[in-house]
Amino acid sequence: MGRVALRGIRAHLVRFLLSLLAVALGVAFVAGTFALRTMLSGTFDGIVDAAAPADAYVRVQQAEGSSVVTGEADATGASVPRTLVDEVADVEGVAHAIPDVQGPIVLVGADGTAVQSTQAPSFALMYVPDDPSLDVVEGRGPQRPGEVALESATLDSSGLAVGDTTDAVLGGQVTQVEIVGRVDAGGPMAGATIVFVDEQTGMDVLAPEGGVGDIAVYAADGTTVDQLVDRLSPLVPDGLEVVTGDALRTENKDEIASQLGFVTTFLLVFAGIALFVGAFIISNTFSMSVRQRMRELALLRAVGASPSQVFASVLVQAAVVGLVGSTLGILGGLGLVSLLRVGLGAVGMDLVGSIPVDTTTIVVSLVVGTAVSVLAAALPARRAALVPPVEAMRDEVATPERSLRWRAIGGLAVTTLGAAAVVAALVRPESDRAETALGVGAAAVLVGVLMLSPTVARTAVGVLAWPFVRLLRPVGRLARGNVVRNPRRTANTAGALMIGMALVGAVSVIAVTAQQSVAAVVEAQTNADVVVRSATNVIPAGAVDDVAALPETGRSDAIAFAPLGVTAGDTAPEVQYVIGVGAGTLGGSVEVDVVDGALDTLGAGQVAVQESAAETNGWGVGDTLTVAGVDGSQDLVVTAVFTTNVLGAPLVVDQGVLDGLVPREQQQVDTILVAAADGVSTSELKAAVSEAVAPYVVVSVLTRAEFVSSLADQVKQVLVILYALLGLSLVIAVLGIVNTLALSVIERTREIGLLRAVGLGRLQLAGTVTIESVLTAVFGTVLGLGVGVALASTLPTVFADEGLSTLVVPWGTLAGMLVLAVVVGVFAAVWPATRAARLKVLDAVAYE
Amino acid sequence: MTGQPTTPIASARGLVKTYGKGDTAVHALAGVDVDFGRGELTAIMGPSGSGKSTLMHCMAGLDRTDAGTVVVDGLEVSGMNERRLTKLRRDRLGFVFQAFNLVPTLTALENITLPLDIARRPVDREHLATVVEAVGLADRLSHKPSELSGGQQQRVACARALVTRPAVVFADEPTGNLDSASSAEVLGFLRRSVDELGQSVVMVTHDPTSASYAHRVLFLADGRLVGELTDPTPESVLATLAALRPARAGSADSSLVAAAQTAAL
Repeated sequence: MGRVALRGIRAHLVRFLLSLLAVALGVAFVAGTFALRTMLSGTFDGIVDAAAPADAYVRVQQAEGSSVVTGEADATGASVPRTLVDEVADVEGVAHAIPDVQGPIVLVGADGTAVQSTQAPSFALMYVPDDPSLDVVEGRGPQRPGEVALESATLDSSGLAVGDTTDAVLGGQVTQVEIVGRVDAGGPMAGATIVFVDEQTGMDVLAPEGGVGDIAVYAADGTTVDQLVDRLSPLVPDGLEVVTGDALRTENKDEIASQLGFVTTFLLVFAGIALFVGAFIISNTFSMSVRQRMRELALLRAVGASPSQVFASVLVQAAVVGLVGSTLGILGGLGLVSLLRVGLGAVGMDLVGSIPVDTTTIVVSLVVGTAVSVLAAALPARRAALVPPVEAMRDEVATPERSLRWRAIGGLAVTTLGAAAVVAALVRPESDRAETALGVGAAAVLVGVLMLSPTVARTAVGVLAWPFVRLLRPVGRLARGNVVRNPRRTANTAGALMIGMALVGAVSVIAVTAQQSVAAVVEAQTNADVVVRSATNVIPAGAVDDVAALPETGRSDAIAFAPLGVTAGDTAPEVQYVIGVGAGTLGGSVEVDVVDGALDTLGAGQVAVQESAAETNGWGVGDTLTVAGVDGSQDLVVTAVFTTNVLGAPLVVDQGVLDGLVPREQQQVDTILVAAADGVSTSELKAAVSEAVAPYVVVSVLTRAEFVSSLADQVKQVLVILYALLGLSLVIAVLGIVNTLALSVIERTREIGLLRAVGLGRLQLAGTVTIESVLTAVFGTVLGLGVGVALASTLPTVFADEGLSTLVVPWGTLAGMLVLAVVVGVFAAVWPATRAARLKVLDAVAYE
Repeated sequence: MTGQPTTPIASARGLVKTYGKGDTAVHALAGVDVDFGRGELTAIMGPSGSGKSTLMHCMAGLDRTDAGTVVVDGLEVSGMNERRLTKLRRDRLGFVFQAFNLVPTLTALENITLPLDIARRPVDREHLATVVEAVGLADRLSHKPSELSGGQQQRVACARALVTRPAVVFADEPTGNLDSASSAEVLGFLRRSVDELGQSVVMVTHDPTSASYAHRVLFLADGRLVGELTDPTPESVLATLAALRPARAGSADSSLVAAAQTAAL
């Protein structure tokens, strides 16, 4: 029987190709996802190890909820005093005590633009000569102000060489620096731009208050980490702590893993979709194969093969298809990841050298691919085994359609529960669990509709087919009949497209809504003529001063902010962003709606809070908040609760108050709102400001209209990623539709022969198949877009406080998706339609 | 007898159809000359493998001939391309097959008007009513084929074949799957369509009773026309079949002829 099964595959190779392709595609995603995750976490683990190689660290005690990776904790309160470094170095058993001092920098590369890749950070590190984690591979380390060394990958991507001179923006000022060395930091840095500065510059510019981020402590030979921690602990003052290097590294890796987990989940969802459709295609293929070989199988039964032998022979075929497909899929997945790595490398993001091929990935991929194939073939195999030999010898083998009732009831239940969760989120958008309810509810609605889709297929396709039925007699009616004939199959075929389109529908609504909301806010709530922004999100202090000093500038408001520790009463300090504004900024450049209290007199000892933060934390006018920064802490009284969408931070204080908490150098300015002086036009102002900020390289000047469209560009970037994934679901959908149509054409051979005999032309026949395909594709698209748009429409209510104010449905994009669905349908129909048109009339109608 | 027609509605001359090549070649038609009368019901009979279905398929443009000419309603069918054949079938021919005559997704009425829909010709309501009346299906027009009995399905098929007023209706074992009562209905209807509507019908059958409904019966054996009977009865058809049986000894001859033809090629 095994031989019969294998011969069967060889004889019908083409038919199995679609199945192979489907399995390979699904498995490619599974394997690719695992490999990508391994590679990413390998890279980031490498960075963590390279960034924290010491045996122990002295650092600021970590407040709950603070982020180690982003380094926000450093600014919450006290830093580690510089003087502690020498004390630590003197402890017995300490080989090196290296202070960590870092800050933002912009380095100008050989091409005159800032060295920066994708979204990776750019920072300056103080170079300490005896730091054992750094390795000078060329030249030497920086020794005096004006000298820098570059990390290897940074040097390569900058296009500069050791000995070159270039500009850098450091501490808010443009400085000329000489590159004196190339430094290896112990691993790939995933695109981060790293510049090493000398100790004097480091302390003066990066740590002007004498505080350092942490102290990395290396044990001398013969001293264990535990001994080291024991000896250091009595030394550190309150507010600081000693942790082992292992603990720190684990902490950092855990945080990275949880962030990567999201990416992995997302990719695995797509792998799941691919495999689901793959299983469906396999099931279809084996239905076709079994149907066509019914007589052959019956003959086997007649000469004595048992039902279980027939069953096994079909399953063996499925297993072979699954194994081969999985193998191709693994290769494809690794190929995909290689491509991705080359792509990321091209934009400057280095990932670890080798593509990880671990046993787990291979075994999981093989098992998943093969198991899915065998399971998908089980039903057709059972049918093949159970049909009595006599029955199969006859011409008509009817396969009864199972009732849709249970599927409909289940689908209705899941959809209702999901919708209930969404409604609950809508009714109480301020509840903590609203966002979770919305997420879970949305997923449930999607699954529910997927289950319900066969039930609605008949009606929905009937409506969609109406123009075809009216305009293309009789082809439209024939096509409609064929599509609704097997609603379960139609719905499954349309499933992949439905999921992809639901995502696209939802995201395009969210994106356009966000974009419009922001644009509306910018229009309504800022009175600036031009907006100054920075590619690194940091505008150097020098640029701020230069812009303010221009004669063309009437009013210049730099939005400076810093993360600070905020305490209300007895609560533990929480990190919040605090914005400092000049007198008259609120109500001037920035319009705000005051909900409670008054804003006229925001000054010393006062703070204004955004309504959303006030609600979350239970703050109200008259409450006292303790805000702590590097330079100490202050008690501030809440004088106003307001709403605005221009300012992103929950707390706003007077610039003077912020300066008292954090030195100017450590405040971050990401936006300057500039209004023109009397008699100066917007274009004159823009020209003047542009010239003033030109030396700072990364700073760009936008008019209000340009600012709005730059926000639109950000939205487009998000959409591009989504469209890439849509592309994948389109490929899968096309495969599914092709497969279903091919099966349908084979099943309908006689009917096609009959139609041809009574005069249906080849083109008309091809047209019928094409309309079927288009109807299926449009059905999936309409259902998916409907669900996606409906779910996304709820977001402005739930996320109103996060800037989504006005719901906008991008009808143009949605119409484009429908057109795309038609194109997909036509494309998918090409092969099956050709096949149907080539059927010989006589083969189809003759019975002898 | 309805009087000898002056010009046949369909005719074939020197029709040859061979399946396979060389040693395995089978001569389904080994040079057939035949005329089908206008306004007549002609039955083609013969044992399995005699070529009766092949003859009908070649006449109807469903199959290509290897040699000889076929003329239907004044048009030469042999030599037509696929496009013209499709048009011929659509506009001038009607078909009734043994089984699977109807498109399962369409109602009985939609099946009947299908050829008109395909040709985008308007439905002649009066003629449609006449045909529907004649097949006795007026109350079942909105049913799907799966809701009709086998006999009803074949009557729908007959109605579809007649609704376009074709030059000829070709029926391939139209009662092959039916019980005798249903067979009688369908055959009676076919005969009436000739007598009352002036239709020309060609029917392939192996059943003497069915053949007795025809005006004329042609007998085929081994790809050749071997006999003919006008105004048949079941008994005369059986007798002719029996009389032809000894002639099967002559099949050696036809094999020789076939071998000679193959050698000549």
